[in-house]
Amino acid sequence: MDKERDVEALGGSAPSPLVATAAWLGFVYLLLPSLIIIPMSFGDTREIVFPPATYTLDLYREYFTNPTWTGSTIQSIRIAVIATLAGLALGTSAAYGIVRGSFRGKVLLGALLLSPFFVPAVVKALGFYIYFAALGIQGTTLSVMLGHTLFVTPYVMIVMMAALRNVDAQIEAAGMIMGASRIYVFRKVTLPMLRNALIAAGLFAFLMSFDEMIIAFFLSGFGTATLPVKMYESIVHEVSPVLSAISALLTFLALVICLAVTALSGRSGRQPSH
Amino acid sequence: MYIAHHQVPAGDTAQPKVWLENVSKQYGSVTALQPSDLKVRSGEFLTILGPSGSGKSTVLNLIAGMTNPTAGRVWIDGRDCTNVPPSKRGLGMVFQNYALMPHMSVFENVAFPLRVRRVTEAEIKRRVGEALDLVRLPSVAGRKPAELSGGQQQRISIARCLVYNPSIILMDEPLGALDKKLREEMQLELKRLHVELKVTALYVTHDQEEALTMSDRIVLFNGGRIEQAGTPHELYFRPRTLFSARFLGDSNVLSGKLQGRAQDGLVETPVGLLRSSNGNEHVGDGESVHLMVRPENVMLLSPDNKHEYANAVEATVVDTISFGGVIKTFARLSDGSTMTVQELTRARRQAFDRGARVRLAWQAEDMLLLPAA
Repeated sequence: MDKERDVEALGGSAPSPLVATAAWLGFVYLLLPSLIIIPMSFGDTREIVFPPATYTLDLYREYFTNPTWTGSTIQSIRIAVIATLAGLALGTSAAYGIVRGSFRGKVLLGALLLSPFFVPAVVKALGFYIYFAALGIQGTTLSVMLGHTLFVTPYVMIVMMAALRNVDAQIEAAGMIMGASRIYVFRKVTLPMLRNALIAAGLFAFLMSFDEMIIAFFLSGFGTATLPVKMYESIVHEVSPVLSAISALLTFLALVICLAVTALSGRSGRQPSH
Repeated sequence: MYIAHHQVPAGDTAQPKVWLENVSKQYGSVTALQPSDLKVRSGEFLTILGPSGSGKSTVLNLIAGMTNPTAGRVWIDGRDCTNVPPSKRGLGMVFQNYALMPHMSVFENVAFPLRVRRVTEAEIKRRVGEALDLVRLPSVAGRKPAELSGGQQQRISIARCLVYNPSIILMDEPLGALDKKLREEMQLELKRLHVELKVTALYVTHDQEEALTMSDRIVLFNGGRIEQAGTPHELYFRPRTLFSARFLGDSNVLSGKLQGRAQDGLVETPVGLLRSSNGNEHVGDGESVHLMVRPENVMLLSPDNKHEYANAVEATVVDTISFGGVIKTFARLSDGSTMTVQELTRARRQAFDRGARVRLAWQAEDMLLLPAA
């Protein structure tokens, strides 16, 4: 309750017109490339121009009917789903251990688990490439799934650690004193209370894996390329106008997921005030 | 039953519900609990009383199994539970912030311990209904905890405890989050449930009034050890130390030196020779001592009043404050210290103005000798 009041107090006074203008200009500048894509995606199949001479749905039709695009989209979805599920399982258990556990080296272990977050994508990608090549699975769908799992796990961990800190540990203690095992309490008490955070973390993880390009580029091979990898290849070989339709769709997907997460976080962590 | 390092238990034959056998707790270099021996009798309402940081929460956590003792053993129902996890101790606990599961309905909250025990659905329905009746909230089963008031939530958490008949119910400042009026109501409610159901209750609080109202016995903690244990009556009327005297109820404390034998109770003080008819085994002949008299035992008399009290001192009225049913008068003694006199409010009470000379008087039996250290 106090928090809400603080936020109100902070947001209560209107910013000066100068600050507001600067903020809006910055916002539009960041958004512009994404916005330009949208009218272009309704152009025709011959070339990428702005503004388009005619407005059609040809580019979308091309995307949804060409097996190159649909195939790589399905590949991206498969990888993103598996990486999300695995990342949720790993990230949530790690967060639970770090937040609730009391053992030596807890802080160090937490830092270690979060470290992939700070390593540049190219470095991670190269590491995966060499490692999976040695294992003989480089170029397979499995290798991309594994790479993306490691890529999304730290993000899941950060979200779940914050959510867990909002769950009153006494509620879990109460469950255990009433005779429930720790696992029973985790399943019946902790997880349901983390529901919104799990959905938010899952959506984020899915989007990150779905959009991820560098690791997928290093790890995928012929026939296992994801949508972003195919888009990159298509830009290198011939600049296909279909890309603008795909970009518009990806922007739309990101927007939907961001709105969903915002809506969820608005409701999550609402515990009865005492 | 009893407790404490020096007290010999009377009639300590029945098996205690809980026995902390010489238990101590260290957190690194910090001593949360010095080696203490504490027994909870079956069916009693025992209150662990003390200021924050006195070790009372540590005692509760040790019994609940939320932390392990550094030394000593924890016995529950005659079973060594020192290394038994909380879930296997068969206890119930009521928390200050209720600790209800926010995502579950009231029914599911109360049913939780039964579901853990794999009770049949029909039986769950019956017992949850009974438990909600006991706490007089039969109609809220379908609601979420957040839809209830604080007092109602605490009743639900009590129902959740009663529903599975735990061997002992631990209560950690359960009324601390409620306002004064509701707190007083809930005190009576808890007392009623304790008497009706004959459960063993271990109640932790820093509120001396709560402890005096509800308990069969009080164990007073101070600085990580047991200061004194006994019935509310004993702790109030026979405090053995200055800390006990000051923690329970209001007190006037004077300092002085024993004249002659300790058992005669004659004490030379800056305001004159005072007499106590209560000996104290912890003070010796000729020692420095504290003297304690409760404000309600001090009479406020006019200076020329002829009286039969063993003790009388001259004083000047500093202030008079009415608390509704009682009136407190603060008076300055000749050595500059202040004494409080508490009287019942009566229309015919003799009133003294600020600055009036008065005589404060009390019986020898109403003054206690306490060790100075």
